[in-house]
Order: sequence, then structure tokens, then C-alpha cells
Amino acid sequence: MPRFHELTVRDVKKTIRDAVVVTLEPANGESFDFIQGQYLTFRRDFDGTEVRRSYSICAGRGEGVLQVGIKKVDGGAFSTWANEDLQPGMVLEAMEPMGSFHTPLDATAQRSYLGFAGGSGITPVLSILKTVLATEPRSDFTLVYANRGVNSIMFREELEDLKNLYMGRLNIIHVLESDAMDIDLFQGRVDAEKCAALFEHWIDVENVDTAFICGPEPMMLGIAKALKDHGLSEEQIKFELFASAQPGRLARKATSAEAGTQAARTQATVTLDGTTRSFEMDKDLSVLDAALENAMDAPYACKAGVCSTCKCRVIEGEVEMIANHALEDYEVERGYVLSCQSYPLTDRVVVDYDQ
Amino acid sequence: MTDEMNIADYLAQGGRLTNPANVPPRYRAELMKLMSIFVDSELAGAAGFADVINDGPGIKERIAAARIVLEKTDHADKVLRLMGEFGANTDRYVGHHPWTDRLPRDTAPGSARSAHDMRLSVFNYPLEGWVDAVVMNLLMGHAVSVQLEDMARVTYQPLAEALREVLPVERRHTELAEEGLERLTAEGQGAAIADSLSYWRPRVAAVFGDPSEERMAQLQAWGLRHASAPEMRAEWEKRLDAALTRLGLTETA
Repeated sequence: MPRFHELTVRDVKKTIRDAVVVTLEPANGESFDFIQGQYLTFRRDFDGTEVRRSYSICAGRGEGVLQVGIKKVDGGAFSTWANEDLQPGMVLEAMEPMGSFHTPLDATAQRSYLGFAGGSGITPVLSILKTVLATEPRSDFTLVYANRGVNSIMFREELEDLKNLYMGRLNIIHVLESDAMDIDLFQGRVDAEKCAALFEHWIDVENVDTAFICGPEPMMLGIAKALKDHGLSEEQIKFELFASAQPGRLARKATSAEAGTQAARTQATVTLDGTTRSFEMDKDLSVLDAALENAMDAPYACKAGVCSTCKCRVIEGEVEMIANHALEDYEVERGYVLSCQSYPLTDRVVVDYDQ
Repeated sequence: MTDEMNIADYLAQGGRLTNPANVPPRYRAELMKLMSIFVDSELAGAAGFADVINDGPGIKERIAAARIVLEKTDHADKVLRLMGEFGANTDRYVGHHPWTDRLPRDTAPGSARSAHDMRLSVFNYPLEGWVDAVVMNLLMGHAVSVQLEDMARVTYQPLAEALREVLPVERRHTELAEEGLERLTAEGQGAAIADSLSYWRPRVAAVFGDPSEERMAQLQAWGLRHASAPEMRAEWEKRLDAALTRLGLTETA
């Protein structure tokens, strides 16, 4: 199971008005190796609610530094806090780097990479392009970077510096939605049509080995379509989707009126490893999460109702199991439920993990 | 650049999901199920095969069997690692199920899963010796290829990538089975092979199961399943019959 590690904030730098680059260092000197294009998942408590958010690493693999880019999202608790209150010296908690938005590198290879980034989708693409150019001296990288206007271009100066550093191997095409550009081609949205036009004169798409795309969904679809129309295979196109669809809570089915009351809370009694504890819990919380919140080391693995590790038996009261992919009918009949999928219906619920 | 679209529309138009943070809960649940079926089947398959390594008549056969055990376990690891990114307790996972558990040999063919893990039903039946293991490996190998070819198109990009790595290795396991059967046939084991074929064929056929029409439509809309069970079963029959013809084996029904 992924663990959270403490990272000390070494630097917080504004890159544009509403985005920061945060430099981090593992607090206890442990290694925190990452692959280009990966992301970190942070957790922080906001008024008693744990918020988890993932942000892509923007540093190159060989740079010897761990950096993420955090763009402020309207109403986003974590990103607003990171942009307004985060200071050097503070400690953040993050899981080890994850994600597979990368391809294996080979120092002797001569490859052509094509990257598409929309807005803050630049962060993993920047990590990839820096790593690729440093690790594969014979490879080249073309970046198509879509933004609303000049002011919203993250890492604009750094990209200019990289262009000079990797003269002839890094090609950057800025496409701006609202600011006027000298050439029509570089204005508007990056969609399938725009890509097709770019592939005509500006990008040698036939020789592209791998394409990386990170941006909003419609943009990625348009680009992927254009790439496929121009002969790239599924394997050659790597997506990284924004976390715009952060998982919310699964909507609960209507509850049967006679079984429960309108009360929002329930009195729960949970037995685990021979110990029984009672606590009051929200009916919107799963039995498993309530047990965990009450410092009980309740067993779970997939938390998707799949693995049945979180199986427990309802002794008293009634719960609603909103998904069950593991228990057999006869077990359900005997009162077994998957606690990660079970929400109290009655004002009192007694469950047992030991049976 | 701030457009957001419905995840179902996005997937229907060829979009890909790339990490646990952008996977909606119901999709996630179905994806986890797909992955745990794969992981549990690989682990149970490897565990069953591990027991017959020493039944191999020669050193080459034992090496082949040991390699199959190693590689199937490695395949489980590849996908379990992805489940780990969703918060699955991967350390606990492997030790949680008794992967060598089997039902009595004479249990009727069927697609009911065991109560405690997600392995395909075929892995609930015990192997009886070397010939039986090789026959099962041939039959199941072709079924695995057909299923993985479908699964490798899954809209969860990390899983699709993992399965594309797994597929050629699994195909090689099937080739090893065919080579093994060729030798066993030459050694006059035809009757034992025929017995095993008729035992395993209905049991492997049962792994092609469709969920309810409604759920299948949802899985297809999300790009988690593509072909239907009858389509996949037909493709499996075709490949298997071609292999049996190559081997000069005709099944006693």
C-alpha cells in the first residue's frame, strides 16, 4: 500500500499570476526517485476534512530536484492554499511518485517526440521534454503549447532558455486562444483541425515515435484523433488526463423509508480483533471509513467492493451495500457485507469483522 | 482551455483515463474487478501449475513449467501494482487468498466464482498430473489470449500498457503447451490427452461469461469490455480447433 512521506518545502515560486512551482525535499533524507512525467499525491487536512490532490512533477529526472507545478483552481482548497499560504520550511505529506506517463529512454536512440500541453498540462510534459533532451542526445522534441493568452503561459522563460540550450532539438509552437498572433495558425484552439494544419508544414508527424498529450479532455481527443488520422498507433499516443474528474462520492440510491429515519447520524458498534468500540457516525460515511476514522485498523484492500478483504457481518441494524462484486448471495443472506460499500440505514448498527 | 466534459462522452470518443485521480467511482469499481480477476487468475493459475512442476517427465519440461509459474506470477505483480495505485493493500492481497485451493475434481463445469477471490472459475478445478496440466495450459492459453486481446484495448491506459507487455509472454506459454502436447502425442499418450481435453474443454468454455445486458452495455460504453462472450468463445474455439488439428488430436466428446 502506498505510504505518505514528509516533504519539506524548500522554495515556492510564482510562475504566472495563479500558479506556483514548489520545490520539495524528503524530510528524513530518504530517496524519492521519480520517472519523468509522474505525479505526487498530497494530502492535507482542511477543517477536519482530508483533501487529496495530485500534481505533476515538472522537474527533469536528472536535475536532482523535486518540483511540482500547482495552478490555482477556482474553489480548489488545496491549490488555493498552495498558491496563497504555502511557505518554505513547511512540511507536506505526499505518496511516492506514481503514474505511467512516460516511455523508456535509451541514450543511443534517435527519436522524435511530439508533446501537446494545454495550460497547466505543461507540468508533466516539461518534465518529459527536459529528461528526454538530456538523456537522449540524438533525439528531438516538438512542443505544441496551448494557452489562453501570453500571460497564462506557465514556464515561458524556462522554455525559452531550454530552446537556447537545446538549439535545433527543441521546437516550441505556442498556440494562443485569445491573444492575436502574427500567423493565424498559431491562434485559436488546438483541435483536430488545427493539428492537421500544423502537420502540413510545421510538424513532421510521419517521423514521430511517441506523442504525449496533457490537457483538457476535448483538446486531447482532438489531438489524438488527428494523430491517428496521420498514422500513429494507439501505442504511440500517451495521454495524461487532468484530475478534473477527481473522484467524488458515489451517489447513494434512494433508501427505503421504513428501514431508517431522517436522522443523519447513526450509533455504530464495531468489533475488530476481539475489541469492540462504539461511536457515532455520519450516515453518509461507509462503515469502513467510519471505523478507520475512529482509529480502528479495519481490513481493506481494494475499497471498491472487489477484494472482500473488508468483509464484516451485520449483527444488528441495517446497512445499504451500494456495490458488491465479491460476496456470494448466500453470504449476503447470512448478513455479510463489504464494509467499504456499506452505509447505515438504521439509527443503530452493530457490525463484526471477526466473524 | 477549461472545458470539461462528461467522462462517458470522453471515453466514447476514444479518450483514455490515465491515473486513479481521474477515474470516476463506478468505472473504478468495474476496473478494479477486471484487474482483480486478472490478478487472482494469474496467481491461482501459477499456484496450480507450481504443484505439477515436478510431474514434468524431463528437465526441459520442468524448466518450461517453472518458467510459466514465474511469468504468470510476474504478470499478477504488474497488474496488482496498478491496483496498489488505487489504494489496494498489495502486501496483504497476495497472502490473503489460498491460491492453491481447488474444488473436488468432479465438480460440474460452471462459472460461479469461489467466495473469497476473483479467479476465473476454471482455476477452481485441480490439475491431475502432467498430461492434464499441459492440456489445460493449451486450452486456457488460447482463452487467455482472446480475452487479453480484448482487455488490452481497455480505456485505462496503464492497464492497457501492462497487458500489451503480458500478451506475448502468455502467447509463448500456449506455444510451450502445444510443443509439450506434440511430444506427449508422439509418446503415445493420446488416450490420456483425450480424457483431459474432454474434462477441460467445457470448464474453459465457461470462462467466457457475459454480465447482464445492462452492465455489459455500461462496460462497453466505458471501454472496459469490447467483444461479447459468444464472440470471444467462438474465436477461442476456432484457434483451439486449429491447434488440435495441427497436433492431429481429435477430441472424444
